[in-house]
Amino acid sequence: MAHRWGMAVDLDRCTGCEACVIACRAENNIPTVGEEQAQKGRAIHWMRVERYYEGEFPDVRVKFQPVLCQQCDNAPCEPVCPTYASYHTNEGLNGQVYNRCIGTRYCANACPYTVRFFNFFNPAWDKPLHLQLNPDVSVRQVGIMEKCTFCVQRIKSAEIRAKEEKRELKDGEPAPACVQTCPPRALVFGDLNDPESEVSRLARSHRGVKLLGELGTQPKVTYLQRNEWNDNNT
Amino acid sequence: MTTTPDQINHDLINHDLLRPVARASARFFLVVAMLGLVVLAGLSAWGYQLYSGIGVAGIRRPVFWGFYITNFVFWIGISHAGTLISAILRLANAGWRRPVTRCAEVITVFALCIGAMFPVIHLGRPWVAFWLVPYPNERGLWPNYRSPLVWDFFAINTYLIGSATFLILPIIPDFALCRDKFSGWRKTFYGVLALGWRGTQRQWHRLETAMHIMAIVIIPVAVSVHTIVSWDFAMTPVPIWHSTIFAPYFVAGAIFSGIAALIVAMVFLRHFLHLEEYLPTVCFENLGKLLLLMSLLWVYFVFAERLTIWYGNQPAEVAVLWLTQNGPYRYLFWTMVACNFLIPFPLLAIKKLRTITGIFVASITVVVGMWLERYLIIVPSLSRKFLPYAWGTYRPTWVEITITAATFAAMALLYVVFAKLVPIISIWELKVGMREESESSSSVGAVSRVRPTRSGRGEHETLAGVGFKNSQGVKL
Amino acid sequence: MERRDFLKVTVLTGATAALSGCEKPAQTLVRFIPEEDLVPGVATWKPSVCTICPAGCGLMVRVLPGETEVVRNGKRGTIQMGLAKKLEGNPNHPVNQGKLCARGQAGLQITYHPDRVGTPLKRSGPRGSGAFQPATWEESLSEVVSKLRELQSENRPQSLRFVGGCLRGQRHEVVRKFLSAFGALPAMVFDPLDEPVLRQANLLSFGQAAMPSFDLAHTSYVISFGADFLGTWNSPVAQSVAYGEMRQGRPGNRGKFIQVEQRMSQTGASADEWIAARPGTEGVIALGLAHVILKEKLRPTADTNATRLIAGWSQGLVDYSPEQVERKTGISAQRIERLAREMAAHLPAVAIIGGSPLAHTNGLFSALSVNALNNLLEGVGAPGGMFFTPQPPSENPGGSAEESDFASVLLGGKLDDTKVLLLYNANPVFATPAVWKVREVLDKIPFIVSFGSFVDETSQLADLILPDHSPLESWLHDVPNSGTNQAVVSLAAPVMLPLHDTRAMPDTLLGIAHQLGGEVAKALPWENFEEMLQASMAPLSTAEGIHPPPDAEKFWGKVQEQGGWWSDKVRQPARSAIPQQHVVAEFVLPQFDGEESSFPFHFQPYVSQAFLDGSLAHLPWMQEMPDAISTVMWGTWVEINPRTAQKLGIEQDDLVEVRSRHGKLLAPALVSPGIGFDVVAMPMGQGHENFGRYASGRGANPMAILAPMQVAETGSLAWAATRVQISKVGKAKLASFSGGLFERPPELQHR
Repeated sequence: MAHRWGMAVDLDRCTGCEACVIACRAENNIPTVGEEQAQKGRAIHWMRVERYYEGEFPDVRVKFQPVLCQQCDNAPCEPVCPTYASYHTNEGLNGQVYNRCIGTRYCANACPYTVRFFNFFNPAWDKPLHLQLNPDVSVRQVGIMEKCTFCVQRIKSAEIRAKEEKRELKDGEPAPACVQTCPPRALVFGDLNDPESEVSRLARSHRGVKLLGELGTQPKVTYLQRNEWNDNNT
Repeated sequence: MTTTPDQINHDLINHDLLRPVARASARFFLVVAMLGLVVLAGLSAWGYQLYSGIGVAGIRRPVFWGFYITNFVFWIGISHAGTLISAILRLANAGWRRPVTRCAEVITVFALCIGAMFPVIHLGRPWVAFWLVPYPNERGLWPNYRSPLVWDFFAINTYLIGSATFLILPIIPDFALCRDKFSGWRKTFYGVLALGWRGTQRQWHRLETAMHIMAIVIIPVAVSVHTIVSWDFAMTPVPIWHSTIFAPYFVAGAIFSGIAALIVAMVFLRHFLHLEEYLPTVCFENLGKLLLLMSLLWVYFVFAERLTIWYGNQPAEVAVLWLTQNGPYRYLFWTMVACNFLIPFPLLAIKKLRTITGIFVASITVVVGMWLERYLIIVPSLSRKFLPYAWGTYRPTWVEITITAATFAAMALLYVVFAKLVPIISIWELKVGMREESESSSSVGAVSRVRPTRSGRGEHETLAGVGFKNSQGVKL
Repeated sequence: MERRDFLKVTVLTGATAALSGCEKPAQTLVRFIPEEDLVPGVATWKPSVCTICPAGCGLMVRVLPGETEVVRNGKRGTIQMGLAKKLEGNPNHPVNQGKLCARGQAGLQITYHPDRVGTPLKRSGPRGSGAFQPATWEESLSEVVSKLRELQSENRPQSLRFVGGCLRGQRHEVVRKFLSAFGALPAMVFDPLDEPVLRQANLLSFGQAAMPSFDLAHTSYVISFGADFLGTWNSPVAQSVAYGEMRQGRPGNRGKFIQVEQRMSQTGASADEWIAARPGTEGVIALGLAHVILKEKLRPTADTNATRLIAGWSQGLVDYSPEQVERKTGISAQRIERLAREMAAHLPAVAIIGGSPLAHTNGLFSALSVNALNNLLEGVGAPGGMFFTPQPPSENPGGSAEESDFASVLLGGKLDDTKVLLLYNANPVFATPAVWKVREVLDKIPFIVSFGSFVDETSQLADLILPDHSPLESWLHDVPNSGTNQAVVSLAAPVMLPLHDTRAMPDTLLGIAHQLGGEVAKALPWENFEEMLQASMAPLSTAEGIHPPPDAEKFWGKVQEQGGWWSDKVRQPARSAIPQQHVVAEFVLPQFDGEESSFPFHFQPYVSQAFLDGSLAHLPWMQEMPDAISTVMWGTWVEINPRTAQKLGIEQDDLVEVRSRHGKLLAPALVSPGIGFDVVAMPMGQGHENFGRYASGRGANPMAILAPMQVAETGSLAWAATRVQISKVGKAKLASFSGGLFERPPELQHR
């Protein structure tokens, strides 16, 4: 059976350390836009950690929420792309074909999670920072939309390796950069078509919620709520 | 050869209406130069954008559409002028439309051309914009027909072709007239454009049939165009965009802005080309009444939308509503309401104020107001979507402002040049109209006589009574 | 692979010159011999060690072949070599267990940084002007050697001093041996991330002058006083891994976490209960909890070294009744009682203290109180509690105790005799209060040598810069002091060939030692650092390690393959003799610099998530990372409470002046609900005058305006003891990544 990749984000484990943010940027050749462009709202963070306050001092609480492309099964970004640059792969991912994108940014408007990012200028790396670039991932030019791909390059290379070794993929074997680096293990990735995989198990958790699930996008990322502590330590 | 009264009139009409075409004054060249400069500035700004990257515009995450799409919707909306006047009024047999049709159709065609540029201007990679065209290629790739932007592509192109046809066909007899009246290079020029028109019965018949068909066909096309443009927004789950009201709202708004633009154009033409007796007050009054009707319709749509959003209390939608109600966009919002309703309503409803000046002022405010309306549809919704962490505000840059200004200048420039090359009032239709009035002039005491003075400007009697009342035998 | 081989050069003169068609005779394309065993497109994974913060996590580096320009022996040419592309945690390393924090990920940019010093630099203009010119290694080293010989001939070896950041393991040893053989005083340490107050308290309470470790994975209750232990404090990755387990790693058992601080930190965001206490009263809270536990007999009475240090403990801490605690701290008596009962009912429980509570004048008292509390909870050395990381048998245990703190040496005027100063991995000109006048003091030292890779505020004053390799290009050896219950020696071979004409600091020192000859050369007989490491690791081959010890030959290879040696069979280190000073810890009000009337706000600088103490400000990834709480990129900010801001007429993004009695700075205001009404906070790390293109001239440095207050009985800088005034002076623009602050904005709260 084909894989169906999904992720679980445990908000009770997440500490807001943003290791995922930087690991993603390192793995996927995400350009640094600089202060001026960051002020203008053009910074690119495929994975971001949202921060929300509740209440006011001294009864103030903060909530962290890592948000990445939800790889929706009913993605609003897919029907609207005029050139099919945004499409659904047979493994359930929302694929972005960089060299087919003409930059209408329609998909970015349609995405309710605002997880799509645009290259407003050609990216540049002061030498020799360019030596760090990952050769497995394209560098996107001006006018192209980009977003989290669940590190599809890692998925593909894991599948190729497994095929060469004539075996199945193990649970947790392709690990996107964010999942691999997360210290409190808040991010879990795996095959939703395998009911025994950890991500499937977590997707069934009673703490599980879909972000903006009421919109009907059918995201494949399950967020496990952080509940209040209770006296029974559960 | 003795000249009949008819012939005298026709000569006068020819003289008056061909005069602008016959020669170009220094003032014309000055106006063209000034407008041309602004257009050039816009083209340079666009060139700079192509060179440096779309980032020189003010768009950002999450407001990925800003001035350019505002202009796109605005100009496509303006293009609905022609359809209403030419097609609908033609089918409704409204005689007062005759001097106005070509003015309107010209606006349509040029507004469409300008509006259709914006999908290319706002692209991140405009050099591959041609991928929207369905052409066979070795990669087996076609555009995504599920995307409203592709529907836009087809709808706008269809409308453009249709409107261009609708514009050009009736000009042919006038080109022939020019060919016959002028000499020198103009004779050759108009000779080519006249396409061998000889004014035979068959040719007239064909022309009238074609125009009748076009008039019927162009109406649903026009409605579909702005419906599809509205679906660029309504087909996405963006707060407030995702509303069933968008299609009729946009079409109504388009007609509203189209009429206003038409009035503005007509006022300028009337003044600068001395066409007072050909564009009589009754035209403006009737257009003014239509504008009033559309203004009321617009207010109704806006009120209905806002009331349901407020009452429905969905958090994401209310967040955006708040932006225009109490938030940073409230100044723009109330300016828009003033421009679209509070100012035009008294000017158009009160008979005393419904003069040409009054109607003109109302139209200018409507044009401004409708531009603001497009902006306020697009930007606030995008700046506040579902996840508050991702909210952001938009600010245009000089590139977008320059290009926007250049489009207005371009419209004016195209119009001015067109009016210089082509009689802006359809001569033959006017003559046809006059003949029909004189044939039924007994009934209402309406006179189609024009008493021109030597200077070409003159006292005139309104063609009142010719309009809606005359329904006899006026057949296209 | 033979390390010497890469120095061979093949020069393709004829063909290239002919093909290029230009007349320049010296047009040569230099191609160095490529690294062996490279397969294009195929990655190899090599272990390494992260040296960015004191945690000392283990890395795995993804290396892919690529072509780049390098400098060899002063010649520039291209080479095919393995390039590090991505850093991950080493799954086998006991500290981080395969995980890596954001800063560790960004460490990759250090190697490839465009502003790295690529060759030795010699000062060519006035000191501090930034005028340097390239020099060769030969001339630079001989200059250093001659200066040192001068000192030897004048019999003034103590005029040589060394100031360094966090150095451990053999990298620390090579420095220590050098200095000691030379006759110089031990190295001075300048490490703003260190917690000397806590180590002093641990020495007094437990006989261990070390940073504590916490078994969070098995604890049921943790209360942290100001420690950003999930962010930047101590061993954040290890602590975060354990925290994840504490929360959701044990089905049916979810530990509770309480954070006590004045400003919502990244760690505090994860707390079940967030308590804002008055600054400097954390020790009172700890003893208040102890009081309730003692009074209600919720735990057996504890009588240990730690508890005996607390005045009034044996009498039941009568001065710390809930009512008195409420008066002193502002936390209600009921809350204290409830927390104490909860804590005692949910064992194991552990208390942590770090950060700003230890930076008040009464910080030592607070630390001692928390230590006593931990004893009361029977958590010291027990599962779910606190413990100390065992040290490997081969390491010299007494090393760091001899060293002195750079700040106290400087302030004590002891640098006046210094003639030669060696600098490594420390930036005291930047990360100290301006009133200490570090720059002026250093300016008087005749000869300064820096081993750094970058020109920063301190190395700007150097006469000679002998640039170090980047960590990925170096032999690395480290002994983590916390974060694991195993004894660990991290070891890594270089992952990459050097990009520039740099040399590893230990190798440079060894080279200088050999040239000096005599005692120094005898103390450091190794040809290079690799040999020294191999020699140091040899004893471990017979000690009990994780894997059955192979023969000594294979051991060296195995250790490199694994990324180090570690063992869970090393017994807890013997307790040092506890100093017999009679410290009686009782609460005294914290002192603040500046009167409340004219300086109404407590000023809280904090170690920033992106830059720590400023040493990472030059990395573009860190500049562009949105701070977890403020979401600001590329800037500094002053956090102000919304009510306070409203009273002062300050709005978000307004430029404010923050003024203490010792300085002022300008920074944009960030209106944030997570801070006290009378507190303003600023992250450390920006405000560099020079530190590369991405950091220079950016933001403001809160350290500069601090008052020279000290933590009583320790001499450390009490950096939380400054009071400031703030006023709006203009407008600024913050590059915030976030839009709205709340999920449900206040203006949309519906009736």
